[in-house]
Amino acid sequence: MTEQSGVPDVAEQRLSASSFSSGLSVSDFAACLDMGLEPVGLVQGFCAVRTTSSLNFGNGPAGFTRSTSPYQLSSGDYVENYQCPHGMVSGEHRMWGQNYQQPWIENTWRQGFTNAFTRMVKEANTIGAHGVVGVLDNVTRIGQEGVLEFSIRGTAVRVPKLPAPSSGPWTTYLAGQRLAKIIEAGYVPVSIVAAVSSVRVWASCITEYLMEGSGMTMWAQNSDSVEVEQIVSARMAARALVRNSVRAQLHGDQLHGVELNIREHEFAKGDLEIQPVLRGNRIRRFKDFDPLPAPRLTVRLS
Amino acid sequence: MTNPPAAKEPFNLKDEVRRAVASLEMKSTSTHSTTSDLSIDEELNLHSIGWEQVELVSGISVFSVPAGLWNWGQGEIAGASKAHAQAFNHAISRIHKEAADAGGHGVVGVHIERSVHPSHVEVSLLGTAVRPIGASPVKPEEVFVSDLSARDFALLMVAGWQPLGLACGASFVYAPRRQMSAVLQQSSQNIELTNFTEAMYSSRESAMERMQQMAIALKGTGVVQVNVVEGPMPFATHAVGFAAWGTVVRLAKESHQLMHPQMVVSLNDPTAVFDAATLA
Repeated sequence: MTEQSGVPDVAEQRLSASSFSSGLSVSDFAACLDMGLEPVGLVQGFCAVRTTSSLNFGNGPAGFTRSTSPYQLSSGDYVENYQCPHGMVSGEHRMWGQNYQQPWIENTWRQGFTNAFTRMVKEANTIGAHGVVGVLDNVTRIGQEGVLEFSIRGTAVRVPKLPAPSSGPWTTYLAGQRLAKIIEAGYVPVSIVAAVSSVRVWASCITEYLMEGSGMTMWAQNSDSVEVEQIVSARMAARALVRNSVRAQLHGDQLHGVELNIREHEFAKGDLEIQPVLRGNRIRRFKDFDPLPAPRLTVRLS
Repeated sequence: MTNPPAAKEPFNLKDEVRRAVASLEMKSTSTHSTTSDLSIDEELNLHSIGWEQVELVSGISVFSVPAGLWNWGQGEIAGASKAHAQAFNHAISRIHKEAADAGGHGVVGVHIERSVHPSHVEVSLLGTAVRPIGASPVKPEEVFVSDLSARDFALLMVAGWQPLGLACGASFVYAPRRQMSAVLQQSSQNIELTNFTEAMYSSRESAMERMQQMAIALKGTGVVQVNVVEGPMPFATHAVGFAAWGTVVRLAKESHQLMHPQMVVSLNDPTAVFDAATLA
């Protein structure tokens, strides 16, 4: 590899050969040709990163352990503290609880995704593509060590007789018919967008009693059903954070066809990480909607 | 804009793609972003009735269930039923607030995830906030939430109806243990376990009743697309549960608008082929 995010020399040679490869299904391939998009090559980008601090709370950036005060641990925007209302009960009793954003995980994830993405786009650029369609991305967890492998690939396409794009190829998860429909509706794909947020929950005593069933111990407040505020607050915050993070990448464009995947991992009893990943297509309006006729109900006679 | 469709130039997809790709070289003028999990078909459906998407919104709630109530008792497991109702209501009011904050008038295509654990009940809602194009914000309590897809929403509106919100009813009931003498007597018989049957009927009745109450409270005339989940609780041997939810609707126009479905003959049917299985 010539530079940190460059294309390996052999790959460059292969990509500049006269035949193309494409990851599209035959129907998507046909639809692509129909749209006047010429497939030029299957382009890919990889990146592996390590997120050590997600291992356990002893390895946090400031070296915190469960027995020390957590306050001011987070450098993120979101942090909430939950005080024990009971007073000193015993050495094992949780005197505090905290929800906090883990920007170091988010940043590492973003770095991994962005590196893999820019490497793919660079390959596409090398072979003179205008865009990359039918992008597939995959994040694989390798072993237990918090290692993530990002793999992004797609089919680079070219519009014949159009000058090369000045700001790099556009990218989209869409291909085939769905891509054609987007364009017919007046949108042009700009880029795929993905973001993660990470919220760590160190359960307070109340939260843990409630998750085990309220009224379980003499320390619980009552035996009625009660909302588990700390968990609710963390989940709402995690979703809001990931949405804001994606919004920051839109610059006035629309995010279409969003997919939200939420991973919750319990490291130990009362120690939870909530990690939503939000992915979608950033698209931009290039013409107005044609005035559409009202939908008409039809019955198929077959 | 007023030209009849026939007067329009024939649509050329290749030209359109070329124009779209070339437009990326120009600077974007839009400053207002939206996020949505709708498909392009759904977006066009929304647009056809004068609505637009605004933001992906969610509502969450987790309610604890008083410990140790699943296994011994009689009649309804009131603590669990109550926790379920509260979790649902809190999740709904949170998604109302997120939608109203984003300027939405309603949320469509809501994915509803609910799970009942021995110690807590979780409800999670995720959907796309929508509004009439360019409309000004409304208060959170005026927002409607619906699990109908954007396509069904558009169809409903065209038919003169409006969605008012989600209604949900759930009830958990103990199936009383049989007398030891009955257990021994029946051990070699194939019989109906009336304790379980009766418990199912009892939980169904309460749950449907509660869903109906919610619908009436929303001033609806009915609930459409009702989902039902019922059966024994996997973690308790003598508890059964029943939950039902759906979108509350009301006639908004004076009468139902007949839609006069048009008959179409599809031209992309698979070719009829000889099927040996039909001879058997």
